[in-house]
Amino acid sequence: MGRIVLKNVTKSFGNTQVIPPLDLTIEDGEFTVFVGPSGCGKSTLLRMIAGLEDLTSGYIEIDGDDATQVPPSERGLAMVFQSYALYPHMTVRKNIGFPLRMAKMDQSEIDKKVETAAKSLNLMDYLDRKPADLSGGQRQRVAIGRAIVREPAAFLFDEPLSNLDAALRVGMRLEIGELHERLQTTMIYVTHDQVEAMTMANKIVVLQAGVIEQVGSPLELYHKPRNKFVAGFIGSPKMNLIEGSEAAKHGAQTIGIRPEHIDVSTTDGMWEGKVGVAEHLGSDTFIHVHGVEGCDPMTVRAAGDMSVKNGETVFLTPQSQNIHKFDAEGLRIE
Amino acid sequence: MSDRKLPRLLQTPAVLLLLVWMLIPLGLTLYFSFIRYVLNNLRRPEWTTPSISNWRGFGNYEFVLNNKDFVLAIQNSLLIVCSILFLTVILGVVIAILINKTFPGQGIVRVLLISPFFVMPAVNAVLWINMILDPVLGLQGIAVGSINDLIGSLREAPVIGAFFSLWPELEPISFRATQTSAYAVIIMVTWQWTPFAVLIFMTSLQSEDQQQKEAAVLDGAGAWSQFRFLTLPHLGRPIAIVVMIQAIFHLSLYAEIEIVSRGNGNKNLPYLIGEFANNNIGAASATGIFAVILANIVAIFLLRMIGKTLME
Ligand SMILES: Nc1ncnc2c1ncn2[C@@H]1O[C@H](COP(=O)(O)OP(=O)(O)OP(=O)(O)O)[C@@H](O)[C@H]1O
Ligand SMILES: [Mg+2]
Repeated sequence: MGRIVLKNVTKSFGNTQVIPPLDLTIEDGEFTVFVGPSGCGKSTLLRMIAGLEDLTSGYIEIDGDDATQVPPSERGLAMVFQSYALYPHMTVRKNIGFPLRMAKMDQSEIDKKVETAAKSLNLMDYLDRKPADLSGGQRQRVAIGRAIVREPAAFLFDEPLSNLDAALRVGMRLEIGELHERLQTTMIYVTHDQVEAMTMANKIVVLQAGVIEQVGSPLELYHKPRNKFVAGFIGSPKMNLIEGSEAAKHGAQTIGIRPEHIDVSTTDGMWEGKVGVAEHLGSDTFIHVHGVEGCDPMTVRAAGDMSVKNGETVFLTPQSQNIHKFDAEGLRIE
Repeated sequence: MSDRKLPRLLQTPAVLLLLVWMLIPLGLTLYFSFIRYVLNNLRRPEWTTPSISNWRGFGNYEFVLNNKDFVLAIQNSLLIVCSILFLTVILGVVIAILINKTFPGQGIVRVLLISPFFVMPAVNAVLWINMILDPVLGLQGIAVGSINDLIGSLREAPVIGAFFSLWPELEPISFRATQTSAYAVIIMVTWQWTPFAVLIFMTSLQSEDQQQKEAAVLDGAGAWSQFRFLTLPHLGRPIAIVVMIQAIFHLSLYAEIEIVSRGNGNKNLPYLIGEFANNNIGAASATGIFAVILANIVAIFLLRMIGKTLME
């Protein structure tokens, strides 16, 4: 069980309001990802759910019960921190067993549960080591193990992978995804990495300055961004936003077109421009095109074998069914 | 391997200096402890200059071991050092944790707390023994006197008087007496050295990881468990440092003992050395060697104990 409801939640530090009134429902078993630019209040929101940060007003419900005043240890939530926050003087075994020991469980039962968790996380060989003698990925697995043994109602992750290198991050991403498949427990995951958000989430919550800009499944956010901010934030490379006469043709203040929805040709097309930088990734080529009216530079995705040179003239044609239109307030026009 | 040579070469002067600094005094002490060497002896004037021809073997050691004050001095050294260590570490941890929280007037409180450390040992001893611990004129005497006066006047009171007349008259403790002078030394040195412990523990507490604490809170650890399983192990190393440094300093306490009781019933090894050194340098040196051995035993024992209990 783990249905979390936030109602009219606000948070101020001194006189600065970091989270204006906010409502959010996280269904049981869902993998919810909070994304947003740095400083938008993702961690604060997560810490409020965990109980580490007091609410300025509003209330939090966990499984139907008001949890606003419930101390963090009794909310039944487990948190995994970016810095792992392992206990440096304890072995891996003691670290994972610590929450059970605090719950005054029998030593024999603690041992059993620790072993089960360690097995599922491939930590059996490291049980008697101290955290200092582990690699970053192993430490993160210990932190996850410490969360799993408690059998929490929900897991809270605060950028758990951002201290790992790129390859390890992909591996751990999959492991966390599999963990969710296996346990079917609610997970709330904070990240500013798009790929993590898109690949792992059932539901993405896009935040900006403490305000929820949009809530939806990854593909919903990709195909139907509610406003210009979400449009620019979701997707990599960023969506091209075009203003001026081109937008007016579509009856909008701004139109947006993703780099992957633009056809590139060296002979003819709707817009003409000069190649600035071409980034060859092997599978794709990202070309930054200068000189298109209303959007400079415009990023387009071309096939990996596309060979264009700096200064060369190219023609671009947007796929008309994939053009997003936004009004003067930046909201989506259907 | 060859790129190790230059650093080694550069270290040599410092290492040599340290060796000379340590080895010459130690060597001389060892040498004197095996010969007859006194400052003044009319019948045997040849003993007044150190010479290998005055070889005495373990005679000086035997002489010291048979001295009636030797066992007392060892016991007293241990009692004083261990009590001070125990008290300063406990007080230091408690005070450091209390003042680590933010509160108004924090800066002033911290400076005041550190100030005893800047008082000279002899002054510290004079202040404590005369102004605070003195059974008549010190704070203690005044406090005991006024409590007695208060109880005395309560005895005259109508109903409750009967109850208070069952109370005994309080006796002030004389800290210059044979049995209690060691306690006076312990009290005054603890007062002086607690700030040192507080200072070291406070710096260490400030480097404690807050996310670990939050993780512990979520794991259901209360205040005591957080202290026991996170803070105390975190303080393990600083505690070891405080214990080591203080053990070195307090094994050689002298001024306080001189001022409180002139060694009356309260000698420690350095004081015994001082007494021997009035004339018998050989015996003083032998005692010095005993002191070195004792210091090593104490250090090893204490470090083992701290390592075991705190680091899990
Ligand atoms: N204890 C605090 N006191 C005052 N302001 C704070 C405090 N904690 C956070 N803030 C402010 O609240 C805002 C949100 O912070 P938060 O840590 O939630 O951001 P975030 O979205 O997690 O950012 P990041 O992606 O960089 O981790 C920031 O502007 C920050 O300066
Ligand atoms: Mg954050």
